Amino acid sequence: MFVSLNWLKEFVDIKIPPYDFGEALTMSGTKVETLTVVSENVVNIFTGKITKIEPHPNADKLIVCTVDMGTDERVIVTAAKNVFEGAIVPVAVDGAVIADGTKIGTNDFRGVLSYGMFCSIEELGMNTDLFSKEIMEGILILPAGTPLGMDARELFWLNDVIIDVELTANRSDCQSIIGIAREASATLDLPMAGFTIYAATESSNQIADYLSVKIEDQACPRYVAKMLKVKKIEASPLWMQVKLLNSGVRPINNIVDVTNYVMLELGQPLHAFDYDSLQSQEIVVKTTTDKKIVTLDDKERNIDETMLMITNGQAPVAVAGVMGGENSEITEKTSLIVLEAANFNKGSVRLTAKQLGLRTEASSRFEKGVDPELAGIAALRATHLLLEIGACEVIEGLIDVYPCVEALKKVNLDVNWFNAFVGISLTIAEISKMLTRLFFTVEKISDHVLEVEVPSYRLDIELKEDLAEEVVRIFGYDMIPGTIMGGETMVGGKTPVQKFQDALKNILVGQGYYETLTSSFTSEKRLQGLNSQREDNLIPLINPLGEENSIMRHTLVGHQLEVISLNYSRKNPFGQFFELSNTYRKNEKPGELPIEEQKLAISSYGSEDYFDLKGAVELLLAQSGIKYPEFIAGGSDFLHPGRKAEIFVNGIKLGEIGEIHPVVVKNYELPKRCYVCQLSFDALFECSSLDNKFTDLPKFPASNRDLAILLKSDIPAAAVEAIIRKNSGEILESIDLFDVYTGAQIPDGYKSLAYALNFRHHERTLNDNDINPVIDQILSELKRSFDAQLRE
Amino acid sequence: MELELKQLRDRCLTDLNDVEELKTLDNVRIKYLGKKGELTIALKGMGKLSSEERPIIGKLANEIREEIENNISAQKQLLEHKEIEAQIREESIDVSLPGKKHLAGNLHPLTTTVNELKEIFLGMGFSIAEGPEIEWAKYNFDYLNVPQDHSARDLQDTFYYQDDIVLRTQTSPVQVRVMQEQKPPLRIISPGRVYRCDEIDATHSPVFHQMEGLVIDKGITMSDLKGTLDLFAKKLFGEQTKTKFRPHQFYFTEPSAEMDVTCFKCGGVGCKVCSNTGWIEILGCGMVHPNVLRLCGIDPDEYSGFAFGMGLDRITLTKYGITDLRLLFENDLRFLAQFK
Repeated sequence: MFVSLNWLKEFVDIKIPPYDFGEALTMSGTKVETLTVVSENVVNIFTGKITKIEPHPNADKLIVCTVDMGTDERVIVTAAKNVFEGAIVPVAVDGAVIADGTKIGTNDFRGVLSYGMFCSIEELGMNTDLFSKEIMEGILILPAGTPLGMDARELFWLNDVIIDVELTANRSDCQSIIGIAREASATLDLPMAGFTIYAATESSNQIADYLSVKIEDQACPRYVAKMLKVKKIEASPLWMQVKLLNSGVRPINNIVDVTNYVMLELGQPLHAFDYDSLQSQEIVVKTTTDKKIVTLDDKERNIDETMLMITNGQAPVAVAGVMGGENSEITEKTSLIVLEAANFNKGSVRLTAKQLGLRTEASSRFEKGVDPELAGIAALRATHLLLEIGACEVIEGLIDVYPCVEALKKVNLDVNWFNAFVGISLTIAEISKMLTRLFFTVEKISDHVLEVEVPSYRLDIELKEDLAEEVVRIFGYDMIPGTIMGGETMVGGKTPVQKFQDALKNILVGQGYYETLTSSFTSEKRLQGLNSQREDNLIPLINPLGEENSIMRHTLVGHQLEVISLNYSRKNPFGQFFELSNTYRKNEKPGELPIEEQKLAISSYGSEDYFDLKGAVELLLAQSGIKYPEFIAGGSDFLHPGRKAEIFVNGIKLGEIGEIHPVVVKNYELPKRCYVCQLSFDALFECSSLDNKFTDLPKFPASNRDLAILLKSDIPAAAVEAIIRKNSGEILESIDLFDVYTGAQIPDGYKSLAYALNFRHHERTLNDNDINPVIDQILSELKRSFDAQLRE
Repeated sequence: MELELKQLRDRCLTDLNDVEELKTLDNVRIKYLGKKGELTIALKGMGKLSSEERPIIGKLANEIREEIENNISAQKQLLEHKEIEAQIREESIDVSLPGKKHLAGNLHPLTTTVNELKEIFLGMGFSIAEGPEIEWAKYNFDYLNVPQDHSARDLQDTFYYQDDIVLRTQTSPVQVRVMQEQKPPLRIISPGRVYRCDEIDATHSPVFHQMEGLVIDKGITMSDLKGTLDLFAKKLFGEQTKTKFRPHQFYFTEPSAEMDVTCFKCGGVGCKVCSNTGWIEILGCGMVHPNVLRLCGIDPDEYSGFAFGMGLDRITLTKYGITDLRLLFENDLRFLAQFK
């Protein structure tokens, strides 16, 4: 929200420099984002009245203007088209600087000397966003009656500092000059000035002849209406326009400007209806079955019976708290206005504005909550201003439908509790003083308890904790000392699962893999690229950001492939990646949240083959204390049918590993060979054993035997190894497949597997009598199972 | 006999001198000193000698044996020495050639940041708590005192799976779970993934990361909140770091604050990183709202506590001077490899 410092100063005498004021406000809870002087550069621009316009003797497009500057007269040559005799305009005189820093001097325009220049809004440095193109491009024409020879810096408040404040959601009362002024007053401990409202003694209730108001919906706690006769619809006075401009609001005409002015000043949205266009003597606040309304911005909007409307008893004339209807708009012909100062429930306005896709200054204020007490004051403040600027004459009487006036809240604050809660020690008098500065009414009801009456506009104060914050923010958060917590000693630390997660990551990093971070979203289409069947256990979102992010991923593989694809397309020659992250799937049990399962994906391209990745996985498993994993051919459809395996340990499936299927390679625009392994974290953790236990070093030597086995190519090495293990008993210490050979001397369809076997007994030295029978047994079993032979 | 022995010695010494390789050296030893060696055989003939001659010849034979052995070992040393010298001559390499490549990976910078934060709080006796990312709306909003009609609940702000199940928009629901499941005293942090309906750009992402902290005990004060978080900031950004607590508003805390730290780049003078303010906003915090305590089954008259939450992605970006949030999620190796 933009706040004009000059306007603020009309309520609080702020003497400290703007920056310091901004800091002080921030530290008491009103965060100041920026402080901007309206126009720093502009000097020596004064108001002047064009008294005579003559054609230029030597140029068709130029005119020569005589300008009365109040104290002297000067000649200005201009090409501007919108000036006229009698117009009051800003004149940059000799030596002036305009907003963009250009210096203005006396210039010869084809033989006529021009002693300065007329200025546009932009050249004055004012907010150009708020004006139409025509006004912005022409010379700024000032209202008749503007004094001559006045410095533009003063007249247009170019010295003003615009404070951009970020308000928190609970402080709806700060959405106004008066609200920020109250904060400034409390923060700086300065008194606060009041404002004038219409307070004439009225002798009649004339308004009753024109209008009555009925509220038929609880979403409108109060409706105040005042009627005025319009004297003339015209531009509002410059001082009012400038205040609106510096608050970021476009001036329109005197009536509308006053409603906006009061909204900015007090925070109460107002609306003015053209009485004659209402075509009715009553206003009824209710929901209707009408389908459409054309709003003030000339748009036809679809409405329904959930939206609160202001009606003339029949048809809607405004969307309550959001925007007026075009059918009752103020026009140049308007002679009678109904000034509405009403209160609407925040929930109702929020839903309506949301459904209409229409957020206005009014709706955004109501959405945060407006104090119902404000409606009456605002109506009278607007009446006062409309009379003061000569826009209207009053019609006596006021309509105020306010069925349920709420009593002021009272909250007790125990000073002892407060001091213990915050960790400071303030006296009851100090606390009382700070609350008073914030306009709370405080009464001491015991030596340590204050009864605090909350102003009606402080909708956010309910509990003693709320009051504690009020006191502390005035006392100063920075004044609270920092202490270290007492209480019980807490051990804290990581759980075994958390330690295991760290360990897995470290093992992979040590093997040259980079950890990735990918989004949790995927889509039907991205999953189809994985060559897999449509899954029915997915988690689709109701409101995703586009189709490609419409599902929570149930696998990490797709994202790993996308990482590879990106790196490949960027000409990174090789890559090794991993990610330990959640995957998501439907929970078949009703009434329970979806299942979140952590998976570990490892992938690579460029430098590796299947066995490199498998080796990395085997090391990962070994380091996790997982023994004898089995890699059994098979796995998901995104993997190469001839190069994929599922990994088991003791019958528990850990995951799968393989080369990416050529079709998927195409779908994901991958390099020809990519490898992926995906493991279930839970299964890994279940099978892991990170306990380190010492066993004595062997005292007796080992015996080594090499075996080269000749067998059919399609028999998996794992099956051979299983037979060797099974028939070796406890004396087999290790087994190492050191050669797989096909080619010369090996028949077609056969291969030779060469194993180094290491036998050891921990109580004695083994000899041939121990080992030979074992070898014989292995060979005969291999022969029986696979028709395998020892290769001589 | 004496002559015979001396000739034997001379022959042996000549043979020894002729040996050029270590492996043939032993042949000489065997030839003369072995079981069937010449000296051995010669000594066997000593039985035929007279008792006068025997000690003299015996002594000589021993002297010769010793002399041969000494010569063998001297020759061995010489040959060994020569062999090593030859080996060294042959094996010299260009030590300036590059070493063999070993692959190094590393953790994602976000993980590194999170690890650093975890370590700080683990050191203060905190535990790490976890909770689901797909969460009951009531845990994400209701129990955290977020008003029923608050816009954060809108479809424009929060991803929904079902009407009552959302992708958590903050790590705060973990607070609720911990308070409901465990008894105070509590000291937890909870880093994790959170979601909001923001289109991805240089500073926003629909998927991002937060870390929540919660302390509940008897007699926890606002002053403890300040002290703890000030200590955290000093540990993370350095001893010289100052903190500033500004009043703010959150539904689940009262009083609430935002904490700024002096810019670690410029030290508070003002620079690009801190938008010339000298300060960087790091986290939101506050005393746990009594409504939240009550909703989670903790008596606010008996216990108090504080909570804090910070954006991990943003801290990572500022810490490393990364200019675009999207880089974190893109995983270009040239990016990943920069963070050791």
